[in-house]
Amino acid sequence: MVRIALVLMAFALPAHADALEDLMLRLAQVKSARGKFVERKELAMLNAPLESSGTLVYAKPGRLEKHMLEPRRESMILDGDTLTLEDKDRGQVRSFAVQENPVLWGFVESIRSTLSGDLATLKRFYEVRLEGAGADWHLRLRPTDRRMQKAAKEIRVSGSGTWVSTIEIDEAGGDHSVMTIRREAP
Amino acid sequence: MTRAARWALGAWLALLVACGLVVARTPFTTDLSAFLPRSPSPVQELLVEQLRDGVASRLMLIGIEGAPPERLAEASKRLAAALRASGVFASVNNGEEAGFETDREVLWRYRYLLSPAVRPERFSAQGLHASLTELLGQLASSAGVLVQRMASADPSGELLSLAERLAPQARPRTQAGVWFSKDGARALLVAQTLAPASDIDAQQRALSLVRTAFAEAAAGGEAKLVVTGPAVFSVASREHVREDAWRLSLIGSVLIAGLLIALYRSPRVLGLGLLPVASGALAGIAAVSLAFGSVHGITIAFGVTLIGEAVDYAIYLFTQNAPGAAPESTFARIWPTLRLGMLTSICGFSAMLLSNFTGLAQLGLFSTAGLLVAAAVTRWILPSLVPRGFSVAAVAALVPGTLAAVRAAPRLRGALLVVLATAVVFLVARPQPLWSSSLASVNPVSAAEQALDRQLREDVGAPDVSYLVVIGAPDQEAALQASERAAAALREGVSRGWLQGFDHPAAYLPSLATQRARQQALPPAEVLRANLQAAQKGLPFRPAAFEPFVRDVAAAAELPLLERSSLQGTSLGLRLDALLVRRGSGWAAMLPLRGVGDADAIAARLADLPGVTLLDLKRQFDELYRGYLREAVLHSLLGAAAIALLLFLALRSPRRVLDVAAPLAAAALATCGVLALGGVQLSIFHLIGLVLVVAVGSNYSLFFDRQAPASQERGRTVVSVLFAALTTVIGFGLLATSKVPVLSAIGTTVGLGAAMALAFSAIMSRQDAHAA
Repeated sequence: MVRIALVLMAFALPAHADALEDLMLRLAQVKSARGKFVERKELAMLNAPLESSGTLVYAKPGRLEKHMLEPRRESMILDGDTLTLEDKDRGQVRSFAVQENPVLWGFVESIRSTLSGDLATLKRFYEVRLEGAGADWHLRLRPTDRRMQKAAKEIRVSGSGTWVSTIEIDEAGGDHSVMTIRREAP
Repeated sequence: MTRAARWALGAWLALLVACGLVVARTPFTTDLSAFLPRSPSPVQELLVEQLRDGVASRLMLIGIEGAPPERLAEASKRLAAALRASGVFASVNNGEEAGFETDREVLWRYRYLLSPAVRPERFSAQGLHASLTELLGQLASSAGVLVQRMASADPSGELLSLAERLAPQARPRTQAGVWFSKDGARALLVAQTLAPASDIDAQQRALSLVRTAFAEAAAGGEAKLVVTGPAVFSVASREHVREDAWRLSLIGSVLIAGLLIALYRSPRVLGLGLLPVASGALAGIAAVSLAFGSVHGITIAFGVTLIGEAVDYAIYLFTQNAPGAAPESTFARIWPTLRLGMLTSICGFSAMLLSNFTGLAQLGLFSTAGLLVAAAVTRWILPSLVPRGFSVAAVAALVPGTLAAVRAAPRLRGALLVVLATAVVFLVARPQPLWSSSLASVNPVSAAEQALDRQLREDVGAPDVSYLVVIGAPDQEAALQASERAAAALREGVSRGWLQGFDHPAAYLPSLATQRARQQALPPAEVLRANLQAAQKGLPFRPAAFEPFVRDVAAAAELPLLERSSLQGTSLGLRLDALLVRRGSGWAAMLPLRGVGDADAIAARLADLPGVTLLDLKRQFDELYRGYLREAVLHSLLGAAAIALLLFLALRSPRRVLDVAAPLAAAALATCGVLALGGVQLSIFHLIGLVLVVAVGSNYSLFFDRQAPASQERGRTVVSVLFAALTTVIGFGLLATSKVPVLSAIGTTVGLGAAMALAFSAIMSRQDAHAA
């Protein structure tokens, strides 16, 4: 039985890797994208989920902007190596190299590297598995870094074609968050 | 050999044995502190002490460059691991989180004793409500993951605000998990040795450990290592001094010996000629050892210069010995001139003896003792050892040409006047002052090494501190309390724009009084629970969400106060060690300031705090140096006056004193002119060089001045002076190539000056008086 499973895996793996690379190649074709997001965080310490919403903007190859409009106005802009956090309600801006905060880096890279089809970077942080295909695919990302493992158990990025539609995070402490992204009407 | 000669020989041998015994027990030092002034004020003492042994002086800044970033990062991680495991370093930081985990633990455990935000109102229902509202916003934010995990135990975010406040202001950027320079070309590590900077042997071991560990870490790669820091400077300077002392002594000896063997054509006489030098050097080292307890490497290196000066004595004796004449009678003839020359030199060297720089005082004593012994050996030992009937045949052949040149020399008087006038005009007209008034001018570290140091400091974000607040106190607690008061005043200064920021010891270790006050601000568990309940009204937190917080606050109220020992092994502890030191029977706290815009306002604000002083470091050091420069100029003038008096007593004719002194003054003036032309700003070491020019050059002008009845004898005299000057120019000229700025400054000055003193003596010599 075990031997059969191994043989099957040996066949399945290249095909699986091919499909993943295929998806990544297709994602890499996307030059820019823009959508509305709604994020729902279920935290153990809260008795109601925490909802936030805003817009998400991606431009090839390395720029990702997350503009939160509700419940407060706040932006996170990742451009190359620089991460800028702007609290618009208070007029505070903080900018730092993304490498300075490995955990935050891991989180933002799960979105950016997926959007840009950068499998190499994804694999630096996660063990990557693809389930499904075409109009309904799911990337399961399991952190490999010890610090990242303390923060998240698994991140699931789901999409349809070249559109990323949900990002689910299972946090290590049992907290859970889901971000759904809708195409913004042009 | 006469009876007297035998006695002299015996006494000389006894002296050599005695000196040898002293030298054998002499500790040799090479640390730079000998070239730091012996400081008079307590504040300056503290500065010099910190420079020598302070924690900041134990820093090693390490860069790895010349390879792709991933390779550099890998080498950085391996090097850091090897250095951490070596036990030689108190800390090794390369940006890897591993280094900060213990810091985080301490900060977490003591957060309620360390945070200045801990006040009773922060734990009231109202204060907590504000904190929780803020927390809710943070949880929703994109950076929420960072606070989420700690929120239930630290809802007011004390840890993050502490970490932010205590983080070094300018941190290098991180790439591939380790620190990198801004351009990403160089991986950076900051290491701190356990051994003090003044223990150069230990520093050298640490440095070679870094090099071998790097060779392993970068095995086979193209990555290169650069290291800088105060201790590295000490080691490098010592290496330079050693290298230069060996290299220059060796080259100098070979060249001078080659020249002399060509002249004497007798190895035995060459060997004899080295006796005064060797005896002098031995006596010099012994004298310094007896007076100072140790001998500095640079003092030994100065032996090269002594060769240039003391070899002259034997040259005068050998080359002036006419064929068939007895050496004793030749010596009896030239001794008075030689003695006067030697005394003149000693007058000049004694200026160095008075110096406040230990290293220079050692050089003065070494030269004085060495010259006395060398002259005595020449006078009483050499004549009886010279082979009967020895005469330098080559001299006769050189006499006609040399005499012709000397006779022709005065025709250049016009040119000399032009040169001197040009020198004067140039010296007067130059825009920057002739004398450098900055201590940097005597920095024993080469410009290239300083540039690398600046570069790495900038990369690491550890700029040199130029303003420092110093607090003296009888004990550690008082020092910390005073530092808290000063910090409050400085915070006011920051808000008014007088300075950008500062670091202070109480940020890492609050005074016991402050910690107690913070503990008293923490409410008991039941009060805190009630306040939390009230604070949570209208907010979506679960009722028991902050139970970990209540537990931690209760624990903090009972926590034994944070002590210095609890910080051991953390980077916080290291920074504290640099800012709070034991001094004699008391304590000193140091608060380095950043971006000072209005030093006067800061000083005025601090004025009413007892025991608190604002120091402008560069100005303090420069002031110190200016004081010594002034002192040295005064000593040199005294030396010159002593020389003039000596000459007058010996020659008993103002006109002859002028004849002897004028070429020397002209040579000194022209040397300054040439140095200034080369863009050199004169330092204290150039001044010492000028004093040596006068000392050495006085021999030349004295021999030129000496009444010589026979033309052949005068010819021999002039040839002997020519060779004496040649050996001096060779010895000092080599010194000019030294990497050690002190040696090169003296070498350049004396090499140039001696050549000019010879030329000017010839040009200004009174021909008619001696005309055949």
